[in-house]
Amino acid sequence: MEFKKMIACAMAFGVLAIGGSAFAQNAKYRVAYIARSQSDSFAAWLANSIVKEAKKYPDISLTVFDGQSRNELMQSHIENAVTNKYNLIIIQPYDPEIQIGPVKQATVQGMKFVATNPKFSDNSVPSVDSSPYLLGSVNAKLAMTQVPKNAKVVVLLGPPGNPHSLGRRDAWQKEFFDKRPDVKILDEQIANWNKDEAMRLMEDWVQAHGKIDAVISMNDNMAAGAVEAIKGSGATTYPLVYGTDGTAEACLLIKDGKMTSTALQNADELAVRSVKMAHDILTGKPTDLHETVGTELYTRNNVDKCIALHQSLGDIK
Amino acid sequence: MRTETRNLTGRFTLLSSRYSIYLILIVMVVVSSIISPVFFSASNFSNISRQISITTILAFGQTLLIICGLIDLSAGSVLALAGLLSVMFYKATGMFVPSIAVGIAVGSLCGFVNGWIVTRFATPAFIATLAMQTAARGAALMLTNGQNIYELDKFVAWGQGVVLGIPAPVIFLVLVALLTWYVLNHTRLGRYIYAIGGNQEAARASGIRVNRIKKWAFLLNGALVGLAGVLYMSRVNAGLPNAGIGFEFDAMTAAIIGGTSFSGGIGTAVGTLAGAFIMGFLGNIMNLLGIQSYLQQVIKGGIIVLAVAYDISSKTGRKKKNVAASQAKPVTAATNLPNP
Repeated sequence: MEFKKMIACAMAFGVLAIGGSAFAQNAKYRVAYIARSQSDSFAAWLANSIVKEAKKYPDISLTVFDGQSRNELMQSHIENAVTNKYNLIIIQPYDPEIQIGPVKQATVQGMKFVATNPKFSDNSVPSVDSSPYLLGSVNAKLAMTQVPKNAKVVVLLGPPGNPHSLGRRDAWQKEFFDKRPDVKILDEQIANWNKDEAMRLMEDWVQAHGKIDAVISMNDNMAAGAVEAIKGSGATTYPLVYGTDGTAEACLLIKDGKMTSTALQNADELAVRSVKMAHDILTGKPTDLHETVGTELYTRNNVDKCIALHQSLGDIK
Repeated sequence: MRTETRNLTGRFTLLSSRYSIYLILIVMVVVSSIISPVFFSASNFSNISRQISITTILAFGQTLLIICGLIDLSAGSVLALAGLLSVMFYKATGMFVPSIAVGIAVGSLCGFVNGWIVTRFATPAFIATLAMQTAARGAALMLTNGQNIYELDKFVAWGQGVVLGIPAPVIFLVLVALLTWYVLNHTRLGRYIYAIGGNQEAARASGIRVNRIKKWAFLLNGALVGLAGVLYMSRVNAGLPNAGIGFEFDAMTAAIIGGTSFSGGIGTAVGTLAGAFIMGFLGNIMNLLGIQSYLQQVIKGGIIVLAVAYDISSKTGRKKKNVAASQAKPVTAATNLPNP
C-alpha cells in the first residue's frame, strides 16, 4: 500500500512538473527542434547550440525532441508538433528521403519548417546546411599533395544511405581517387560514425595489411577510433589520418601529430543561421531560404584556432 | 568387435554432442587459419581477445541471468552510464584505482534496482530492464549534454594497458570467466540459480529464497556491466554517452551460442566463453578477408543460426536417438541382462 502511495505521488509530481513547464512557455512563437539523435556527438553539439541561440530571441520558446536515429520516432515528433500547434519546426532529418513525406503532410496542415544538417534534396523546405561535397573535397585536395605514390589506404564510412557520408565519399572519389589511380584502397567499410566500430576495423586491418599509408574517414569520431587502434598496435609512426567535423578530440589529435586534418562543420554557425531563418519566417521578414555554411580545413598549422573555438564552447578545458 | 565399434561410435557421438560448440570453435580456427595467413598468429589472437573482452564480460552477466530465467536489456545503457561516471570521477579527482570502483558501484546499483523492481513488484525482467535501459541512457546523455569527454590521461590504462604482454581487458576477462565458473559450479548461489531457472516453483517449494537469489543475480550482472563500462571508455579513450547501444544483444548472442538456454536452468561459463570467441573469430576473419560490411551481416546471421541449430540438434535431435540406439544394442547383445 505504501508503495502504491509512493508511485501515485511520483506520478502526480511528474504530471505537475510537465504541466508547470508547459505553462512556463508563454513566448509568442513556439518552435520545436527535432534532432536526429541526441546521442550523436555532432548532433548534440548542434542541439545545444540551437538551444543557446534560441534564448537570444525573447519571442521564441524552443523545445528539443530527440529522434533517437529512428525514422518512425522522427515522424511521431513531426505529427505531435502539428497536433500541439507549434508555430515552426527546425528539423535535422535522420533520413531525408523518409522524413520528406511527413514534412510535406505537415506543411499542408500549415506547419512551417527549417531543415538543417542535412537539408532535403529537392530543396522544397527552407534549409541551412554545410556542403558534404565541400567538406570532403577540402580534405581530398590536401591529400593530393600529401599521400605518397602507390600508397595503400583504408576508408571509413558513415551509416548506409546517409547523405553526408555519401556526399563526402563522392568528393573523395572525384577529387582524389579518380585523379590518383596509383593509390590502392585496401579496404572500405561502414563504421556508422562510431569510434569503437572504427577502432575494431582498424585493429583488424593492421593485422591483415600491415603498413597502411593513409586513413580516410568520413568523420572525426571514426578517425579518432583508427588512431586509437594504431596507438594500441604499438606503432611508433602514424599514417595520414583525414577526418571531418572539427570535433574537439580531432583538434587535439591534430595538435599531437596523430591526425592530419579535419574539415570543420561549424554547429554554432548552423545554429545561428537556422534560428535566424526560423525567426525571419515566423515574423514574415524576407530571407534567403537556402543557406550553405562554409568550412575551414584545420591542420597542424592552424589547429590552435579550432582548439580555441572548443575552449570557448567548454569542450576543452 | 562389432560391439566395440558401436561403443566407440556411441562414445564419439556422445562426446561430439556434449562438446559440439567447442568442435565448431576448433573448425572455425582451422578453416580461418587456412583461408587467411594472418589469422593464426599470437598478435591476432591478442587482438581478438582484446576486441571481445567487453562483450564477453557482459555475456557472463547475461549467462547468470538467463540461467536464472531472467534477462537484462539495460546492459548497454548501464555500461555507458557507469563508464561515464567513472570517467567523470577520474577527471574530477585524478584517482586511478577508485575510478574502477565507481564504475562497478554504479553498475551494481543499477543491477540492484533492476532486481528490486523485478522481485518487489513481480515485474517481468524484460519490462523492468527495458525501463532501466531508457532511464540509464537518458541519464548518461543528461550528464554529458550528449557530448563526448576527451583527454582521459592515465585512465586509459584500464582498457589499453598491458601486463606481462597481456592486454589489461583480457586479464579482466580471464578473472571474470573464472569468477563466473566458480559461482556457477562451486557455490550455493550457483546451484540455486540453476534450480530457479530449471523450475522456479520447485525451487521455492524446496526452501530456496527465490527473490533473494534473483536480486543477487542482478547485482552480480550489474557489477560486471559496470566493469565493462570502465574498460570500454578507457579502451576507446573517451567518455561516450552513446556507448554500448545494442551490446546486450551481442552478449545474449554469445551466451546462447555457448549453449545457454533461454528457457532457463541450462548454461555454462565455458560455453559462453566459446560462444563469444565464435562471434569474435567470425568478425575478425571477415575483416581480415575484406568482406563487404553488408555481406558480413548476412554471413554472421547465417553462421549464428547454423551454429546454434547444430548445437541444439546434436544435443536433442536425431543424434541423441543414435546415441541411445548404439548404446542400448551392445548392452542387450553382450550381457543379456534381465529386464528390471
